[in-house]
Amino acid sequence: MPNYMLLLYQTPNRPRPSSPDEIMAITKSYMSWADRMRAEGRLKGGEKLTFDAGRVMRPKNGRVTVTDGPYAETKELIGGYFAISAKDYDEACKIAETCPHLGYGGNIEVRQVDQM
Amino acid sequence: MTQAEPLVDDLFRREAGKISAWLARLLGPGRLDLIEDAVQDAFGAALARWPLDGAPDRPAAWLAVAARNKALDRLRRDARLEQFDESAAWRLGFSNPEDTGRLDDTLALMFVACHPGLEGDEQTMLTLKTVCGFGVKEIARAYLSTEEAVTQRLVRAKRKVRALDLRFDIPEGVELAERLPALVAAIYLLFNGGYTSGEGHDLMRHEFCAEALRLATLLTTHPATATGECHALAALICFAHARAGARTDADGALILLDAQDRARWDGALIARGFAHLETAMGSEALTPIHLEAAIASVHAAAPTFEATDWRLLSHYYAMLEEIKPTPVVRLNAAIAHAHVEGAAVGLARLDALAAARKIERYALFHAARGDLLLKLDRKEDAAAAFAAALDCPANDAERACLEQKLKACA
Repeated sequence: MPNYMLLLYQTPNRPRPSSPDEIMAITKSYMSWADRMRAEGRLKGGEKLTFDAGRVMRPKNGRVTVTDGPYAETKELIGGYFAISAKDYDEACKIAETCPHLGYGGNIEVRQVDQM
Repeated sequence: MTQAEPLVDDLFRREAGKISAWLARLLGPGRLDLIEDAVQDAFGAALARWPLDGAPDRPAAWLAVAARNKALDRLRRDARLEQFDESAAWRLGFSNPEDTGRLDDTLALMFVACHPGLEGDEQTMLTLKTVCGFGVKEIARAYLSTEEAVTQRLVRAKRKVRALDLRFDIPEGVELAERLPALVAAIYLLFNGGYTSGEGHDLMRHEFCAEALRLATLLTTHPATATGECHALAALICFAHARAGARTDADGALILLDAQDRARWDGALIARGFAHLETAMGSEALTPIHLEAAIASVHAAAPTFEATDWRLLSHYYAMLEEIKPTPVVRLNAAIAHAHVEGAAVGLARLDALAAARKIERYALFHAARGDLLLKLDRKEDAAAAFAAALDCPANDAERACLEQKLKACA
């Protein structure tokens, strides 16, 4: 069965949760979802990226320039990913639909991992 | 499910260290307190639930999940005191409870526990608590201390770790070379019973020795820590632990090396010891532990006590005396030399040691004098020596053995 990456994008300009309890509730919903996927044997991996926007590297006139990543307020950023197994894109999307990320206003890009 | 309790007990020791190391990776070594509490909570939950619901199919995984959930709850609860650490919460949220038991994590935790900013005792105690999963009660028993005193030392040790703001990593390069000796020393102490003054519980000693073997073996399986000295340490503990089963009789009475049934030595463990020793001897540095392992190997190789290669043993001891001339080493060396040079010379060597202050409180010193005096047929002097030995700190098994020797002088 192929694996799919669920790339979790954060929507720009969305107000961040304000209280620790709110953050806890959100964290726990992701955690329970991952636990459920793991119990079903579907979860192949998953990591959260740090909150900063990272660095962007570009080739320019034969040299590489490094700049700070885009401001989180203005551009969609990948906040993390899950890797799951599914039989095809349809099933992968059905599974991704259950991920709490969408409920909090984030987008998910679903991409198949190229495997033999 | 009525048997949940012993199951939890057994699991605690095995899993607590693994789960703690995994959580320390996620939350940082500054949160050892929170981690300990979370692990404790998880085991409490298991004790409450399993007798009713039955033990889960995969108890270790269940415990890891429970500990992670408890850790998240505690992170929230602690937020009243400090700023809520959102990143840590998310790291827990994305963590995989099946990642427990990674060698890198266990070694990183050992490097935290054995940081040079901590005192020797604190290092060993913190290792026993966090890496090995021993309870405060067991540590107190081994150190002949009270639970309150051990708890206080652990609190202080953890406070130091927090203040040091350590990374959770196996050190590299120069730092690795500087910090590895503390791990070796802590394991050596664990193995050697340095935690007592000779008294204490024999059973505990056996368990600590088994744990020391496990940790030393771990060091030899990671490329960063598989140094000659670590292999030598593993060899030394293998040889000593192989004899554990033959050291006491059915009643728990001590059997000395010369009277042990060598068929009861653990042959597989001895073979493991020789494999480690061979690797150790291939390294450039020759440390005291190399020589101690070599000495132990001479005993392990002898089919009977009489067949011991005393010349080789005496040779190794002479080398050890040169680089580690402690009273105890010189005492053991004198005993070995006596087998080659005769009892009278051995006795003279021992008597020359008597000036060393610490040696007078060491039961083995007087016992060794007694043995040699007996060989020289000086029964009264021998009896006095064994009586002096009995005045020194010793555990019950050793005490019984000394009393027997004293009786034999009559």
